[in-house]
Amino acid sequence: MTPAIAVQCAHADVAAAVRAWLARSRLEPSAPVTLAIEVGDPELVGSDERAAFWQPGVVVRAGPPQGGVRIAWETAPAVADLPPGATTARVVLSAAAAARIEECLRTFMLTVLVLLLRRIGWHHIHAAMALDPQERGWLIAGNAEAGKSTTAALLASCGWAVGTDDVSFLTGQGGAVSAIAYRTPIALRPGGRRLVQRVAAAGGVLLPERRKVGYWPEELGGRWISRVEPEVIMFTSVGTGGAVTEAEPLGQRETLIELIRWSAWVILESELAEQHLALLTALARQARSYRVTLGRDLFARPARLAELVA
Amino acid sequence: MTTRYRRHPELRLTALEGEGVVLHLGTRRYFSVSESGLALLEALETARTADDLARALTARYTVTLEHAAASVGAFLERCRGLDVLLVDREP
Repeated sequence: MTPAIAVQCAHADVAAAVRAWLARSRLEPSAPVTLAIEVGDPELVGSDERAAFWQPGVVVRAGPPQGGVRIAWETAPAVADLPPGATTARVVLSAAAAARIEECLRTFMLTVLVLLLRRIGWHHIHAAMALDPQERGWLIAGNAEAGKSTTAALLASCGWAVGTDDVSFLTGQGGAVSAIAYRTPIALRPGGRRLVQRVAAAGGVLLPERRKVGYWPEELGGRWISRVEPEVIMFTSVGTGGAVTEAEPLGQRETLIELIRWSAWVILESELAEQHLALLTALARQARSYRVTLGRDLFARPARLAELVA
Repeated sequence: MTTRYRRHPELRLTALEGEGVVLHLGTRRYFSVSESGLALLEALETARTADDLARALTARYTVTLEHAAASVGAFLERCRGLDVLLVDREP
């Protein structure tokens, strides 16, 4: 069977690294997309004067006059072009970028993949994803400081199924919105590792470049899940000094505003924006949503999170 | 001089619980609007004068034309700041 994410690359080491990365992610798109990668001179691709959309280390340009999306890596020269409507991303990595392929995959190529999968109706959201013991799907959305990973680790340690601690894709299927996990280890900082007790017994994988340690849900007592239909969405932040976890219900309009914030690529490519916005709107209707301030009580009583939305 | 307004072609609108969320692909901003604001933006898919818009409000809500005109004026003023309207002036 042809893999849904095909890799075309003549550079053996880069091709092997990209295929291994995709295999680890366990993404199985419903339609084929292709990463066509060459190692060469990204300068030859030409300049792009369109307004930039900045991500850490990555610059994205989209819209008129040429349409489509151009993605550039700032750490080492690398460029990807996604022409309008195309399901193939043309990627040019410099030798310097190829030499840092793991870092390149984690930042630049992940952004390329996110924008490529958008072409087949998979829309990225910055969210952890889980399934609770009552079989309800959860999304936990927020920025890098929102406690998503620590919460995901805590939930896994309570036996929940966890798909991802950071990168999910939303897609519509049969009238319902599903969230699909991009599988990576749950990445904890030292503070989070100390607080989730079960972590102490698990080995974890050192992620030195991120100054974190990664844990698979299975190591923490949970299991991995590839897809859920979200029934609960939490927009989290970590309380400053607050001991108690609190949840405030959100209306659908507030939920949609938050979803747009954490699914920010919705503003790119007008031909895809409508579908993306419709998906976020459907999700805002589908799930109950809460703005949650995470407190330290959660570590002693993880069940409180489910109690708050009961 | 007749002034007609149209909504910016880069706007995307969605309705939720009777209110609206507006995404502006051109400025990369998004914001929420009231039910009547959403109704006005929907009407502005085609060029309309302020009077047209006020009459559209009176047809939809139980308000006087004077009250509707004041609401439309405030709405247009807010829209100017958000770059969501195109303005055509005809002699």
